[in-house]
Amino acid sequence: MVQPGKSSDTAHLYEGKTVRAAAPSRKKLAGKMSAGGREIPKDAVPEVHIPTFVESLFGGPLIPKMKFLPADRMVQTLQLIGGGLMMLLAVLTYLVTPVEGTFWNGFAIWMGVDALGQILHLLIVISALGAGFYGIFRRDARGLLASYVLFILISLRFAASKVTFETGILDDLDEGWVKLLLVIYAVSLVMYIEVTNGIIRFSMLDTSIRTGEVYVMNVKKVLSRYHASLVITPVIATLVALATLMINVIIPWFFDMFDPETARRLSESVELTSVYGVALGTMIVFMVVAILFVANIPLRIQQWREALD
Amino acid sequence: MAWSRKSAMFASLATALYLLGLVLRNPQLVTVAVVLLSFLTWAALRAAHADVAATGRRIDEDDESDETPALASLSAMRKISAARIFEDGEISVTLRLQNQSPLSKILEVKDTVPEVMRIKEGANYILMELGPRRETLIEYTIECPLRGFYTLGPVSIRVQDPFGLFHKEKEIHVYDDFLVFPKTEDLKDAFVKSKVPKIFTGAVHIRQPGEGSNFYNLREYIPGDPMRKVNWNAYARSGKMMVNEFERDAVSDIILIVDSRAVAETGPVSRNSLVYSTRAAASLAQFFLSRRDSVGLVLYGSDINSVDRDTGKKQLYVLLTKLAGAAAKGNTPLQVVTNRIMPHINKGSPIIIMSPLEGDPTMVNAVRDFRARDFDVTVLSPSSLEFEFDAKRLDRTGYEVLKTERDIMMSELRGLGAFVMDWEPDMLLSTALAGARGF
Repeated sequence: MVQPGKSSDTAHLYEGKTVRAAAPSRKKLAGKMSAGGREIPKDAVPEVHIPTFVESLFGGPLIPKMKFLPADRMVQTLQLIGGGLMMLLAVLTYLVTPVEGTFWNGFAIWMGVDALGQILHLLIVISALGAGFYGIFRRDARGLLASYVLFILISLRFAASKVTFETGILDDLDEGWVKLLLVIYAVSLVMYIEVTNGIIRFSMLDTSIRTGEVYVMNVKKVLSRYHASLVITPVIATLVALATLMINVIIPWFFDMFDPETARRLSESVELTSVYGVALGTMIVFMVVAILFVANIPLRIQQWREALD
Repeated sequence: MAWSRKSAMFASLATALYLLGLVLRNPQLVTVAVVLLSFLTWAALRAAHADVAATGRRIDEDDESDETPALASLSAMRKISAARIFEDGEISVTLRLQNQSPLSKILEVKDTVPEVMRIKEGANYILMELGPRRETLIEYTIECPLRGFYTLGPVSIRVQDPFGLFHKEKEIHVYDDFLVFPKTEDLKDAFVKSKVPKIFTGAVHIRQPGEGSNFYNLREYIPGDPMRKVNWNAYARSGKMMVNEFERDAVSDIILIVDSRAVAETGPVSRNSLVYSTRAAASLAQFFLSRRDSVGLVLYGSDINSVDRDTGKKQLYVLLTKLAGAAAKGNTPLQVVTNRIMPHINKGSPIIIMSPLEGDPTMVNAVRDFRARDFDVTVLSPSSLEFEFDAKRLDRTGYEVLKTERDIMMSELRGLGAFVMDWEPDMLLSTALAGARGF
């Protein structure tokens, strides 16, 4: 019953309170859902695999969405080659990289424990081997990266300007053989990086093939090109590196055609046989390469080959 | 020629080792640097043999001036099995690649497929060796789960050195367009009838006087009526000039109104109100047109798109094309639509509105206007709440509150005499329609 003088509506019951005429709008509700979960629903974000730095470093354009499937024959072969190369590299590294001049040797001498330097030196080689084996057979790029870093780290040392190994084992070697050994070491290091990188790349490719992401036509031909490159490239790299290292022979030989006396002086030059000679050789060799590029030789060769047909 | 991150790393490492070698007077480091550089140089020389160009249908080459005649040695052509399919249909794609060069090439080929498509058979990403003067066919089948206008292409071709250090890429601008119509459902058992038209086995006749063949009524002669319409017997009986009136032969106009406002796409891409609405509209259009009815379509979102009423198979494809291209955007109220179309549609025609009934305060008024003019209104409302709840984007409380809000809205529409169906996901359209009609 409505009392006289009082309003018939019920507004007075809600004084000081929020009165909602209708259910809250979805927009408002969405704002209030923060307590339950402010985070973006998982299914609202499309699954995009962004390759990590290591992945993109080791991978080509094919990044599989899953872990590697068991290694196929190609990958297994590469693993064996990689393992063999790594063993060779470890031996060569130990041979061509004496402990003298390294930071840890200096540290050991400063500590007064001379043997510590050699132990640390050996430990780095063993660690590089361990990380490499892990990386190769577990197909883990991080292990491989660690191995590369350790193999490079070990060769960071102050050395004599002239190519000497100072290990005692190779003291009697002829200069030419020493340089060849050095080149073989450098080539095996680079090939080790490439082959182990190939393990990851081909594992990715193999996984992509088996998961249907990619189809490979004429697999044998595709692989044979890679195999051929694994043979040809080190040969070329060896020749180029030898050309740069043998600059103290090449330059005097060149000048010998014009002036034998100058050639003799050049062959006795300490600078030419030192690291600066190598630097000079590098400059000369790569100037020739640069000219090849400027003249667009690869394309001209291709045009010539196509025109032959 | 593009550098990969790997080649950039090699180059940086080589430079660093080279400089370190000079600083530390260490020929060993310099030698490693030289080998790395030779490695890179050789790879660059090999990659410079990239030999890619395009010929094919709809070429849109940008004619980069640095390309040489040697680049015209590779061509691509695509063929697709159908240019118009329904959702969940499949298209077979055949990509023909020709190498006109006397040199063989190792190519990485990727035919660009719209993201929503699924590769059912074969692969659109191929790594292959293409021999000299050879051609190859790449075949794959794509499944098209969502309606829309799509384009296949371009074909991306990459040539790279065996170590993946450098690559050359080229897009072959060969495109193929195709259309995916919304999926239709057979609606044998579901039908919508207006009170005014009669349903025959075919066209739905409207009982209104007009030019037709069926007798409707007699009326007095008005000057201007043709003499052939005069009923002489009636004139003889009554002494007044009487004329025959005939039932209008026009079929009824079924008007489908699809809400394609931005809110209609709430929910997952493949399960939202707009997807369901377009499928329903396609199914209804097919059903009514097969009965020789006249069907018109109004799509409203950011603006109002309409297809005028017509009959026949051609009209079906016009409607399906329009529905295939429906995009969720804008927020045009239904009232605007009703105001615009009402003067142009026959009184009593069935109107079927497909809308999530959200975010439109004019919805009730619009339906009231239709009902006030005696239109037979059916509202099919795919519930976006269910989609969101199923996708776990809405918690239980929120769902209950919104559901209540929605139920109130539907009750209000039912109160106006409209047939309203809360269309839940996975419910067949015929079931939903049957529910809406109260069968």
